[in-house]
Amino acid sequence: MKFFPGCMIHNRYPGIEKSLYYVFENLGISISPLNGSSCCPAPSITKSVSHDLWLEVGKRNIELADNDTIMTACNGCFTTLFEIAEKTGRGDVRHVAEFLYFDVGIDRIRRSITKRLPLRLAVHYGCHFFRPGEYKKFTSQERPNILDELVEAIGSQSVDYRYKMMCCGGGGGVRAGATEVSQDLLEIKLDAISDEDADAIVVICPLCLNQFDNGQKELENSRNKSYGVPVVHYIQLLAVAMGMEPELTGIQWHSISSTDLIEKLVKGEMVEE
Amino acid sequence: MDAELSKTLTRCMQCGTCIGSCFSGRVTALNTRKILMEYMAKGTPIEDHDALWFCVTCYACQERCPRGIPITDIILEARKDLARRKGLPGRLKNAFSYLEKHTAYVPGKEKNVEMRRELDLPVYHSQFDEKARKEVSEIVSRHLKEVIG
Ligand code: SF4
Ligand code: SF4
Repeated sequence: MKFFPGCMIHNRYPGIEKSLYYVFENLGISISPLNGSSCCPAPSITKSVSHDLWLEVGKRNIELADNDTIMTACNGCFTTLFEIAEKTGRGDVRHVAEFLYFDVGIDRIRRSITKRLPLRLAVHYGCHFFRPGEYKKFTSQERPNILDELVEAIGSQSVDYRYKMMCCGGGGGVRAGATEVSQDLLEIKLDAISDEDADAIVVICPLCLNQFDNGQKELENSRNKSYGVPVVHYIQLLAVAMGMEPELTGIQWHSISSTDLIEKLVKGEMVEE
Repeated sequence: MDAELSKTLTRCMQCGTCIGSCFSGRVTALNTRKILMEYMAKGTPIEDHDALWFCVTCYACQERCPRGIPITDIILEARKDLARRKGLPGRLKNAFSYLEKHTAYVPGKEKNVEMRRELDLPVYHSQFDEKARKEVSEIVSRHLKEVIG
């Protein structure tokens, strides 16, 4: 298998990649970097300018893998490469969340962790993980449950909250192109999450991570609202539950840091043999 | 607009399900049904439709449209026309120059490379591989030239 990092994981959140390699090694699945791969390119903003540009750069990335399975951990990369693979009939593209759920399975994940993480988590799927259904046929487009089940497999609780299926406000180039709007949406989402007193927000996409994490800092500066909810990628939690040092996940580099969460991650709850 | 996409517009029955599904439409002037109607009537988004840039492309509207109209895809298509006439808004302008130059919308800086080293990870994005960077940069330039001349 080849890991496709995309810009965000390669250049901003390397801890996601580190965590993914740890998890795959633990599961006995061999994976290596897709050398020379570029920006996927990001589906919505690229298509807003040139569909052909999107297609040609995407195809190059797929061809680099030479028919090996391409593993992604970003909803944007997944969407671009998966759609192009479907359209051209070339390439096997997966998102790590659906791969863990369907190919590894909840039971095996439950058995492979060394400590449970008894956390209250607000899960956020990210729109492009499960929509449009034209391509993403593997789950419900209204109420997906893959991430909720993955979170429960590591001993955490997935708390329900208002607007769970709403966008984080980071998609479609809105974060860069219409920052106010992006912050309005993020604020609605964070207000709803903070009502539930969650230990963290769990995402499966580095763009959502960036929007929730750096976005909280921005809301603090521009609107005087402070939430202080840390944000993590699911693979970072899974790696810790499988025994990786929390520091290697890079969460100490995220904008919103919480010693409380790090303590809980370090401690966990031992799984009896 | 793409002829096949524009044909789908005629199926709209003005039920409003799309607007009802749109979170962005609640906080902005984005009104999908109106955009589609105008698109149908004039074949082009009206001049000042900056609201097109408020769509987060969540695909909720497209998923729920009872007539199977690919609304989000149409919005992306409409943006192409708008971008050609009025350019890109906000920081999106920079994004494409980064893509062309660094083959990354989010280029890595020295400090990011340092983070990778700290985690003992290789540096292999095309941005850091001169042969790959040139190859991708050439593709991007060629297409952008067609768009912005
Ligand atoms: S949901 Fe579909 S049919 Fe209904 S108004 Fe919107 S585009 Fe038209
Ligand atoms: S895809 Fe765009 S227009 Fe459709 S519901 Fe989402 S934000 Fe609204």
